[in-house]
Amino acid sequence: MHPEPSAHQPSLFARLARRISLVLGIGAALLVSAAWYYADTAADKAYDRLLVGAALQMAESLAVEDGKLSVRLPASAFELLGLADRDRIFYRVIDTNGRTLTGYDDLQDPSPPEGNSDAMRVEEGTYKGEDVRITRATRVLADPAVTGRAYVIVAQTNEARSALTRELTLRATILVIVMSLLAFAGAMLAIRYALQPVEHLGTAVRRRDPHDLTPVSVNVPRELDPFVGSINHFMGRLGERVDLLQRFIADAAHQIRTPLTALTAQIDLLGSGKMSKADRQHFDRVKERTGELSRLTNQLLSHAMVIHRADSVQLEPISLVDVARRAWRAAVPITVDPDIVVSFEAPEDRPFVLGDAVSLREAIVNVIDNALRHGARHRLEVRVSAGETQALVEVEDDGPGIPPEGWEKAMQRFSTSKSHEGSSGLGFAIAQEVAKAHGGSLSFRPRNERGFVVVLTLPLYC
Amino acid sequence: MRILLVEDTHDVGEAIAKRFEATGHAVDWETNGRSAAEIIDFTEYALIILDVMLPGMDGFEILKSIRKSGNAVPVLILTARSEIDDRVSALDLGADDYLVKPFDFRELEARARVLMRRHSGGEATNLIKCGDIAVDRATRSVHVGQREIQLKRRELTLLEVLVARPGRVFSKDELLDQLFGFEEAANANAIELYVGRLRKKLEGAKAHIVTVRGLGYQLVSGDAS
Repeated sequence: MHPEPSAHQPSLFARLARRISLVLGIGAALLVSAAWYYADTAADKAYDRLLVGAALQMAESLAVEDGKLSVRLPASAFELLGLADRDRIFYRVIDTNGRTLTGYDDLQDPSPPEGNSDAMRVEEGTYKGEDVRITRATRVLADPAVTGRAYVIVAQTNEARSALTRELTLRATILVIVMSLLAFAGAMLAIRYALQPVEHLGTAVRRRDPHDLTPVSVNVPRELDPFVGSINHFMGRLGERVDLLQRFIADAAHQIRTPLTALTAQIDLLGSGKMSKADRQHFDRVKERTGELSRLTNQLLSHAMVIHRADSVQLEPISLVDVARRAWRAAVPITVDPDIVVSFEAPEDRPFVLGDAVSLREAIVNVIDNALRHGARHRLEVRVSAGETQALVEVEDDGPGIPPEGWEKAMQRFSTSKSHEGSSGLGFAIAQEVAKAHGGSLSFRPRNERGFVVVLTLPLYC
Repeated sequence: MRILLVEDTHDVGEAIAKRFEATGHAVDWETNGRSAAEIIDFTEYALIILDVMLPGMDGFEILKSIRKSGNAVPVLILTARSEIDDRVSALDLGADDYLVKPFDFRELEARARVLMRRHSGGEATNLIKCGDIAVDRATRSVHVGQREIQLKRRELTLLEVLVARPGRVFSKDELLDQLFGFEEAANANAIELYVGRLRKKLEGAKAHIVTVRGLGYQLVSGDAS
């Protein structure tokens, strides 16, 4: 009887794994975003320098020849910008009068920075539908012919810097992922290691002898101490209960049996004396009732005993033949009716079963006792046999047997066809209880011309 | 014969003692375990009937000390204990038989008789066989092939007589003497009764009891036919 928990709680391992992977996931996402941001800034800085450099070179190359501003764009400036080989470059040179001297005259002039209008700034912009970075270099001319400020505006598309950003981000991402996986694996190992004591404790409790109710002594981390404490407390209480029950049954056995024996003893003494016919009749009834009481007492105690032993006694391999033979000898009184043929038959190969000899003997004794009291007229046979997987104890008698419709009832406690006759009482109930505790069963075979058979089936031990 | 009864419940001890005294036995009745153990050391008994729960020294302890000293006296244990936690049974400790209280007094007397006879008989392990019938005189068990059958005292005596000399014809008078001795008054009908019962119990055996008209009975192994 193991009640399944209605909703199974996820394991500690799964819980921790989920939480840790969540934290690691968020951390990784933040790191990747940061990596992308820094990569973008770095790429911009690197390429902006080139852009600024080129613009300055171009501005430097402006000269006044024959009173006119002339432009001779230096090759080195284009080489510098050519480092970003896939990007296109746009430029525009504006003379002191604000006219476009050369280049694309629709290239917009970036707004001059506030304050110092000569400072170099690189800005985002669009040109011909493409995102570009734009800068402007200023050349102050102080020639008598041409005076004022000339500007060189240079723009460059973003391909190279985007590529650089992508590459840097990608590498950083790979690093972050590898680190996250390592962290995750490490955390899982650590959790598993940390949870091991729980597993050990579980195994230790599971592997215990069922009747060992001494405190659990497993070395556990401090965190598990309350848990172990509760187990031990519970075991202690259970142990007390078991002891109490055991003592109670033992006491009851002794306390009831002793006066009952004294009673039968006194009745026996009375029986040898002379008495009138009417007295003799009463006496016989007292004797009969005392016999019934004795039998019922024995059965009740035996029932309590087998139930108790089923929970508390470790099963061990035993020879079913030996147990059954002892039961047979104990159950058949020497004073049995001499006209009944009583026999015991056992196979050469002695079948072994995993069982508790005391309980099994009790079960077989009760079945034989029932057969003697309610069945056997001339014959009672006890047979032990073994099949492939099962061992059988059969008790056959030539009495009327129990009709199939009464089988179920016969197994119940205190069932009886006629309540005033000595009931089968607990006999079959005890036998069935024991059979169940041994993984076997108690069954009947329909009465045939030979007799009625009660079969105790037990799994074979091999 | 002399019997030691160790029982602390007065009512029970009285009834047992009376019953055995009525059949001509001498009964020493002790109520204390320790004093009983001392008596056993220097007195020879034909049977000891031992209660388990005793003041002074419990029945199992007494039994252990009897067997430890090499005394083979038959011991019959009376127990009121449940076997709820008995790891060893009385039989494992060397008791010859045991009865759980409350018991039938006729059963106690019958078992006591079996034990005393077995002991005084002092038979060695002698297994007598005739055909598929085997009689073990030490354990007083009878096997027909694989089957062990239970015989009453006189049936067993009768079978022992017949099985010892297979083929020989025993007259009813001879058997009467063997079964009942000279004191007991029994007539020839009793022999017919026991032979009838024995035949029924030996059913299925190849060996069988043959009636030789006017002469008596013989056991035939059945192997020859």
